[in-house]
Amino acid sequence: MGLAQSAEAAAHVTQTQTQTSTQTSTSNNSNSTSLDSVLAEAAAYGNNDDTEESIEAKAQRALECPCIADLRTGPCGFQFSEAFLCFLKSTAEEKGSDCVSPFVALQSCIKANPNAFSKDVLGEDESEKSEPTQEYKILPPQWSREPQSPKSRL
Amino acid sequence: MGREEEAETQTSICKDAPNLLSFFVDTFVDFSVSGLFLLPTPPLQNPNPSISRSLPPLPTRLPSPSRLIAVGDLHGDLDKTKQALRLAGLIDASDRYVGGSATVVQVGDVLDRGGDELKILYFLEKLKREAARSGGKIITMNGNHEIMNIEGDFRFVTKTALDEFRVWEQWFSVGNKMKGLCQGLETPTDPFKGVPMSFHGVKREFFDGFRARVAALRPNGPISSRFLSQNVTVLVVGDSLFVHGGLLPQHVDYGLERINEEVRDWINGSSGKFSPQYCRGRNAVVWLRKFSNEVAQNCDCATLEHVLKTVPGAKRMIMGHTIQTAGINGACENRAIRIDVGMSRGCGGGLPEVLEISKNSGLRILTSNPLYQNMGNAGLNVGKEELLIPAHGGLREVEVKA
Repeated sequence: MGLAQSAEAAAHVTQTQTQTSTQTSTSNNSNSTSLDSVLAEAAAYGNNDDTEESIEAKAQRALECPCIADLRTGPCGFQFSEAFLCFLKSTAEEKGSDCVSPFVALQSCIKANPNAFSKDVLGEDESEKSEPTQEYKILPPQWSREPQSPKSRL
Repeated sequence: MGREEEAETQTSICKDAPNLLSFFVDTFVDFSVSGLFLLPTPPLQNPNPSISRSLPPLPTRLPSPSRLIAVGDLHGDLDKTKQALRLAGLIDASDRYVGGSATVVQVGDVLDRGGDELKILYFLEKLKREAARSGGKIITMNGNHEIMNIEGDFRFVTKTALDEFRVWEQWFSVGNKMKGLCQGLETPTDPFKGVPMSFHGVKREFFDGFRARVAALRPNGPISSRFLSQNVTVLVVGDSLFVHGGLLPQHVDYGLERINEEVRDWINGSSGKFSPQYCRGRNAVVWLRKFSNEVAQNCDCATLEHVLKTVPGAKRMIMGHTIQTAGINGACENRAIRIDVGMSRGCGGGLPEVLEISKNSGLRILTSNPLYQNMGNAGLNVGKEELLIPAHGGLREVEVKA
């Protein structure tokens, strides 16, 4: 399939945060770090008296939902879960911007397994078989054209 | 928590799960394509649920801001785009918007001649959202190259650009497959419906790229509806009239608001493949060069005056579209300001310049041209880069070309 990251994405990864994806709580911008650790602590001690659930607990619940079920299976299910969890817990203004590492891990998995999220075993979209109802003409650039050969003049 | 409460909590969270999944997928795809994370979409200005599918009208006439910056054609060159914005003090070294409450108008032609088209579209979108938070505004306009690409006229597309779209399509399709796996979400529309599998006379190796570009940019395609439908085609800000090519009296008669609405509706797929008539041909609003001849005296100043008279308050027309080798300049006694400096690598790599109109200092050209650096810096040992793009730029008067 040859999926490639844009140059921007690659640069972003090498230049910005290094995230460890093994931690259960994300390390956000510095002003939310203390909040995060409080939440992580509450979750760890299973705060049953609190009717308000921590972000961590809510995120874990979301992972159990029917909508998510099929996405967690298959070759990239683990990477998907990590990325989705991180995203849910992200309190950054640009939500998910503190999830570069799990996002990149998911990208790598998809590149290695292009059909990771295809619907059925056969994997092909039905759209590939449908014919266009009418000719959609483009004007291509010169460099993309086939050279004119004498044969084609028939 | 008791068992019943557990179940209730789980159910209520799962009601939100499809939307959260959708939000996650969009964020993941955006990051994969652009390397960026965007702020949330700003809330609509006029939310009116009683009118189905109605969008808030595009801004056609805006009051004078305290600072207005006009940026010319970008043609797929992200580096030059950033240089131009930095020159105007609109972004910092980390690409963050720092322009405060300024209004920025980019007069079109983001597409073609360069390989950073999607990167620029995403970058401008990021800045639009950041600007909105500081009370600033970034307005992008349709150039002839936007109109052409939406119509499938790809004559000025580069190889790198085609590749960028091919990569976009791969991530976009993965995203759609992911959404399709969540039962609570509607299966996304296939962006390839009706897109040909092959293109006559085109080398086979480029079929994928062109399929992706057609899918993305045709009317109601994912890229045109997301980014290009936000563009205005004509714009009045204070006493400045903005258009990519030029406006004729018949365009004003037709109606500026009407032009903006019709072009947007066309981009969103309501009127077929071809753009409205005033977007095509040499007298089109996006193709006209009557007021942009580099030899100023060859400009049709009489018609320009006529047009300005018919737009209340308009003192000048600001246009891109025609490369000015000498940089930004004015014709017809500065009633026509031409701001396309051909800054893209694909257009000869002209030195970035932007036009500034401010309450304090009137009309100024902010230039990276070393000939116009402040004389005060002349003794300093600055690196070559800084000479070209100093923090406060150089200023020069708007030239009236004789």
